[in-house]
Amino acid sequence: MRNDAAYALAEPPVQNANDNAAVEIDAATPFADAERLAAGADEIAIRFEKFTDGRGFSLASMLRDRGFTGKLTARGDVLPDQAGLLRRAGFDKIASDIKPQSPRWRRRHFSHAYQPAAAGDEPAYLARARAARAALVEKLNHEYADASPEAIITAATRAFGGRIAMLSSFGTEAAAGLAVLARIAPEMPVLFLDTGMHFAQTLTYRDELVARLGLTNVIPLAPDKDELAAEDPEARLFEADTAACCDVRKVRPLARAMASFDALITGRKRYHGGEREDLPPFEFDGDVVKVNPFAALSAKEVAAIYRTLKLPAHPMAAMGYPSIGCWPCTAPAEGDGTREGRWAGQDRTECGIFDPRLKERAARTRSYRLI
Amino acid sequence: MYRYDDIDATLVRERTAQFREQVGARLSGELTEDQFKPLRLQNGVYLQLHAYMLRVAIPYGVLSAAQLRKLAHVARTYDKGYGHFTTRQNIQYNWPSLVDVPDILDELAEVDMHAIQTSGNCIRNTTTDPFAGAAADEVVDPRPWCELIRQWSTFHPEFSFLPRKFKIAVTGSPADRAAIGVHDIGLQLVRNGEGEVGFAVFAGGGQGRTPMVAPEISSFVAQRDLLAYLTAILRVYNLAGRRDNLYKARIKILVNDLGADEFTGQVEGEFARLKGGALTLPQEEIDRVKAFFTDPPADDRPAVLHPSAAFSRWRLWNVKPHKVPGRAIVVISLKPYGGTAGDASAEQMDVVADLAEQFSLGEVRVTKEQNLVLPHVAEADLAELYAALEAAGLATANAGLASDIVCCPGLDYCNLANARSIPISQAISRAIEESGLEEAAGELTIKISGCINACGHHHVANIGLLGVDKKGEEFYQLTLGGIADGEAAIGKIVGKGLDPDHAVRAVITVIRAYLDARTEDESFVQTLSRIGFEPFKEAIYA
Ligand code: SF4
Ligand code: SF4
Repeated sequence: MRNDAAYALAEPPVQNANDNAAVEIDAATPFADAERLAAGADEIAIRFEKFTDGRGFSLASMLRDRGFTGKLTARGDVLPDQAGLLRRAGFDKIASDIKPQSPRWRRRHFSHAYQPAAAGDEPAYLARARAARAALVEKLNHEYADASPEAIITAATRAFGGRIAMLSSFGTEAAAGLAVLARIAPEMPVLFLDTGMHFAQTLTYRDELVARLGLTNVIPLAPDKDELAAEDPEARLFEADTAACCDVRKVRPLARAMASFDALITGRKRYHGGEREDLPPFEFDGDVVKVNPFAALSAKEVAAIYRTLKLPAHPMAAMGYPSIGCWPCTAPAEGDGTREGRWAGQDRTECGIFDPRLKERAARTRSYRLI
Repeated sequence: MYRYDDIDATLVRERTAQFREQVGARLSGELTEDQFKPLRLQNGVYLQLHAYMLRVAIPYGVLSAAQLRKLAHVARTYDKGYGHFTTRQNIQYNWPSLVDVPDILDELAEVDMHAIQTSGNCIRNTTTDPFAGAAADEVVDPRPWCELIRQWSTFHPEFSFLPRKFKIAVTGSPADRAAIGVHDIGLQLVRNGEGEVGFAVFAGGGQGRTPMVAPEISSFVAQRDLLAYLTAILRVYNLAGRRDNLYKARIKILVNDLGADEFTGQVEGEFARLKGGALTLPQEEIDRVKAFFTDPPADDRPAVLHPSAAFSRWRLWNVKPHKVPGRAIVVISLKPYGGTAGDASAEQMDVVADLAEQFSLGEVRVTKEQNLVLPHVAEADLAELYAALEAAGLATANAGLASDIVCCPGLDYCNLANARSIPISQAISRAIEESGLEEAAGELTIKISGCINACGHHHVANIGLLGVDKKGEEFYQLTLGGIADGEAAIGKIVGKGLDPDHAVRAVITVIRAYLDARTEDESFVQTLSRIGFEPFKEAIYA
């Protein structure tokens, strides 16, 4: 039962030059139509016939949710008392028929908000949770500054039980961390970015390690098929833009998977150099917590773990690859543990998952969950 | 109990300041009454027959002793010395003046209380089991979830101008003392196959002129996804709910028109987009709110016996099993024989506040049956508490019995009423007392509404009475077989309307007929479904 009789795509009334550009819809416009019209528009104006008709608030919020970045105008019968709600619902312009000159239009009544919305304050629960999480990370860093990988993983599992996963590349150093994990928590999810561009050796090695260590929950994260078809149909995007390639093949698949996790164990170590030289055991950037149980290990200590546990080496380690990722972006390099052979010749040694500069790109992909 | 942090306290203060400004704009004429009306309603200010009414929120029916004392103070200072507890676990003041309301709200804010969204076409106070956190049969404590929903729904930028009012109820116990089946959204805390706690979601139930029991639209929504799921439901309703007809604007009509499957499909479609996004509740926030609601300590003092028969009777009906050893739940009936359901004087509120501090860890609850509850009383203190209640005239031993009547304000206050529900409830209460039948009858619900809006919940009463107007005269339509809690059911009309005297007699006749026909242990509804309506009808219209 939909009363869509009132729906019509009205010609925008001539109010001023700006308004001419707007596509006007009214509250009764079915959302699917609003979405279709918004696709090509710079400005959408939503007309309120009655200020008590709240459909316009949902239309605006849902358009913003689905990525409409143009201008949104509320027209018609809207009260100054609704200004705050209108702004939070995503309107950035108000053309009210009611007392447009009232000073009450400019009053901002609330300094916090309880829900996420298209604009304005973040919800109280995120602000509180972020503060709690930051405090927890500080405490853990204090307590576990010089702790062993085992102690750090145990503490992380206690703090984030059920919401934590390990990220593994199944590269040259991965077996040491996975072996430690397998002894403490073999059932913990291990995320593997299945970019479609791995060396065949890496995949074989992965299967061998998983079986040998008894890991029970390895989750391969593949790129989204539709996104790949649109953005990298010939699997050659890396030639033009490695950042874009990493974005579709790594950053977004991981962001989607992280909707279920609040903490991620990484294999990063300080001796990898670059941005990793100051790595603490726990990191919080306002998003997920990254746990780096192996940060303080030296290359020698890693090698020692391989020896004592008789772990197999990645088949390509002996071929001069100290760090291994996707085949197009990995080259042999000098020195254990160095990442110089990754994206060789480019101004980057991080793949976007750990690079704050590429975070912003991920934010535009609707994986905007903050925590 | 939940305690406000800076964010909560600031928001309530800011809201009061905003409303003070709106009252000013109304008095200066900048706002017309038409424009002011939805704004004042969302701040609990209702225009009744004789005066403004202020409805103060008691979030999910939970009060501290300090809050109850503040409610007593408001009753004494700004009203005629009493307040009226409602069927939605709130309190109403029937005689405040509009200019005082911002001051009252300031006073309430001092004890973390407000009147936000207690009226109007928005998401109202979330209701729950009055025995939450105490009931022996509880699976999961629903109160943290009520608080999380309270916050999410407060000043919602999308859902402040819905087609109609919107009520959510949560239960954490299979006995469902929250009547989730007749709410816009009913949430039942459940465990799935893996032992994970989540929600079974029901939508589209309601009372009023088209009573409906809500269908289940999801058998399991994970805790962290609750707000995303609720948002999806509200979006579908806000956009598609009818706005052309006041009487068809509730979500139950939408769910019924679309069919539960289509409605569910639309909700699931929106939920799939929202899931995992910014509406995901962080575990830290769930843990933070849960930490406010802990079990009381066990009490190992031996229970003190009291020799009087009156105490035994009160113990039998008004004391309920607690989940913690050595404690009990005590229902304080606000239904003295011949009294007004739900009314409490300022003095009585003060007494209950004192008793709560002395015997119940400072906590009080309000029930949808319009009674008060002391949720955490030590068994060892029951006799002493009983004596104190008796001295204050608050020891009526009829919780859950026939004279524990639920009744709306009716024609004495309400401008929509057809009938004076309060006097008839008083007459029925007295007749029940005189009949001496109620203990034999045991648990039996009687509910009375003064018009089809059903604020008195008559549809879900074992015996319901609905006031109707026939050419300027008051009549009552009797319904039988409704159930509010557990497997909700809507009562059926017995026959033609009865004049007030006949209606009172008919209630007694029905109780007698039930007692004559029932076999051992049979509830009223069980007897009714076994023998059918006819025997009752014959007795009433004989
Ligand atoms: S590492 Fe190279 S191939 Fe792999 S996703 Fe990034 S850019 Fe693409
Ligand atoms: S049921 Fe009718 S008479 Fe009673 S309070 Fe509600 S609207 Fe008023």
